Amino acid sequence: MDMNVNIIQSKKESSHQGIVKGMQVDKKRQVLEYVARKMFLLNACIAVISVAAITFFVFFKGLQPFFSGNAEGTYSLVEFLTGMEWRPNDDLSQALFGIFYMIAGSLLATIGAIIVGVPIGILTAVFIAEIAPKGVKRVIQPAVELLAGIPSVIYGVFGLGIIVPKIMQISPRAQGQSLLAVVIVLAIMILPTVITISESAINAVPRSYIEGSYGLGASKIQTIFKVVIPAAKSGILAGVVLGIGRAIGETMAVMLVAGNPIAGIPTSLWDPIRPLTTNIAMEMGYAFGIHQELLFSTGVVLFIFIIILNLILNRITAKAGEH
Amino acid sequence: MHRRVKDKIMYGMIGLATAFTVGVLLWIIGFVVMNGIGHINWDFITSNYDSQTSYVTMPLLENNTNKLGLELDVVDYEDSTYPVIVSKESGFPSGEIRDKGGRVYKIQKGNLIKRIGKKSTENQSLESILASIDELEGQEVQVKITKKGRGIYPMLMTTILVILVALAVACPIGIFAAIYLTEYAKPGKLVRIIRFATESLAGIPSIIYGLFGMIFFVLYLKMDYSLLAGALTLSIILLPVIVRQTEESLKAIPQSYREGSLGLGASKLQTIRKVVLPNALSGIVVAIILSIGRIVGESAALLLTAGTIAKIPNGLLSSGATLTVKAYAVAEEEGDIGMACAIGTIIIVLILVLNTLSKLVSKKLKKANA
Repeated sequence: MDMNVNIIQSKKESSHQGIVKGMQVDKKRQVLEYVARKMFLLNACIAVISVAAITFFVFFKGLQPFFSGNAEGTYSLVEFLTGMEWRPNDDLSQALFGIFYMIAGSLLATIGAIIVGVPIGILTAVFIAEIAPKGVKRVIQPAVELLAGIPSVIYGVFGLGIIVPKIMQISPRAQGQSLLAVVIVLAIMILPTVITISESAINAVPRSYIEGSYGLGASKIQTIFKVVIPAAKSGILAGVVLGIGRAIGETMAVMLVAGNPIAGIPTSLWDPIRPLTTNIAMEMGYAFGIHQELLFSTGVVLFIFIIILNLILNRITAKAGEH
Repeated sequence: MHRRVKDKIMYGMIGLATAFTVGVLLWIIGFVVMNGIGHINWDFITSNYDSQTSYVTMPLLENNTNKLGLELDVVDYEDSTYPVIVSKESGFPSGEIRDKGGRVYKIQKGNLIKRIGKKSTENQSLESILASIDELEGQEVQVKITKKGRGIYPMLMTTILVILVALAVACPIGIFAAIYLTEYAKPGKLVRIIRFATESLAGIPSIIYGLFGMIFFVLYLKMDYSLLAGALTLSIILLPVIVRQTEESLKAIPQSYREGSLGLGASKLQTIRKVVLPNALSGIVVAIILSIGRIVGESAALLLTAGTIAKIPNGLLSSGATLTVKAYAVAEEEGDIGMACAIGTIIIVLILVLNTLSKLVSKKLKKANA
């Protein structure tokens, strides 16, 4: 109804204008159309400009410390990438800015979260898509949505209030903030991403595949694991890659449970870690000079990881589109 | 038989995984709410985070139950007890109470009285306090009053301000971009680039946005740590959400509507304004609601651009902590899980409300299109 009224209104206006004011209005209208078109285009380009600006500024500032022209002094790229200690001293000659142990921590935490979170996520997605009766589905789906909507700080507070004390009870170390705590928190945090994307991938599997499998005498479980999941493989993989992106970029929750030591590659689940993200967030507030620039360099390393992940994701989704 | 056992095991694992997902969710929400609910009351929402102590001059009254004209009770506060104002008696001369600078000071229910005249009220019984009030002589007395803190009012205001500014910037840009993509753009290189950029924006972690906001808005444009810098950074984060959601609702409008409008002689712009946009309204509303949720939940980017100061911002260029940033600071720096949970409870309630709202609106949208 609303629609019809709108059409009629616009008809009235346009025909009215057309008859009364003739060519002049047409000219004006053309200019207006042209301007509007350009304005819409400009707004659409802001996303492009933003991406370019973000990349440029972060890389520009982050690469500065490695070039001899830098006013704040330089730091060796090799030492930065392979260093095992992060000691931003007041005295620059004694300061150490090594992030290798952070890269290791970030990667280990992400791998751990994937190992724990992905199977749980996929199985939950299978339950929602294939097994759950409608009533149960109506409860679980909003639950997953809510899980996705909970801010990361709350995951962090939960981790600090529940997971860290629990780990402290069983850990051989005095401190509960550890790689294990980060893995658990991240595994929970990637669940909604993995579940929603796997679920839609599973739902997109043609019914005929499933019927064919049943027709051949396979059981429901066999059909799910031998037919549905392999068929939904690329979609699920896309979910996993997005999950990795979320895990590696997560900051606030991780900062609360990681421990953030100034040195040392984690060698066990009980060791504290200092992921790349928290290194930036923790010290950016008061850093200046080359210390600040090297925090940006940490951001560059993180950014490169994300770019690689996005390229992989593009590959996967492009492949999924071909099918 | 063998197959059945295998199937049963797999069913069990699927059930366990689902139970884990739902259980963890309930556990998180239960934990946050159970620990936080005790702190939440009207004072929590309306008072400042930092307590504020002032010396004020109060007139002495003769015809009231006590000379201050305040009904008092003794409460615990920071390991001591102090008298707290329960209510003001009728005829209480509010306008005559002044602080050291001579400004009118507003006494509120819940304020603590730490010193009356020369006498400290710390750890005194109510009787002895009232007795010492009765002994007061002269026209007026100096009183040390503390407005209790531990409230989230400044963070609520900051969050609302950031939401308004970020939406004011991101909405027009996002909606116009979506209009370009659905109504004007022809498939080609430019559109592919725009889409790629929008998708990339969605994948960038918020700490990187924080870095960008810090170097560009805070340092380069010299906004310092401010609401404006935070809101502008957030508006970029919101772009993909708004573009995608608006685009979806624009695509859902039947082509015949547009053809009808164009066929009747309306220009493209008129069609967009009078036909396309009104019909896409509920989709746009969903986009806005989702964006609000995103802003409420965001913290890493704001930490680096808007700062962590828990005070009511007195302008767009002053720094301020949002609810999430404060929840982080409280948990990390003060180790106060209860307070963090109290803020968390407020955030969860907000997210729940926003989730429900967006669902209601999109349900309406679906009905309207059916």
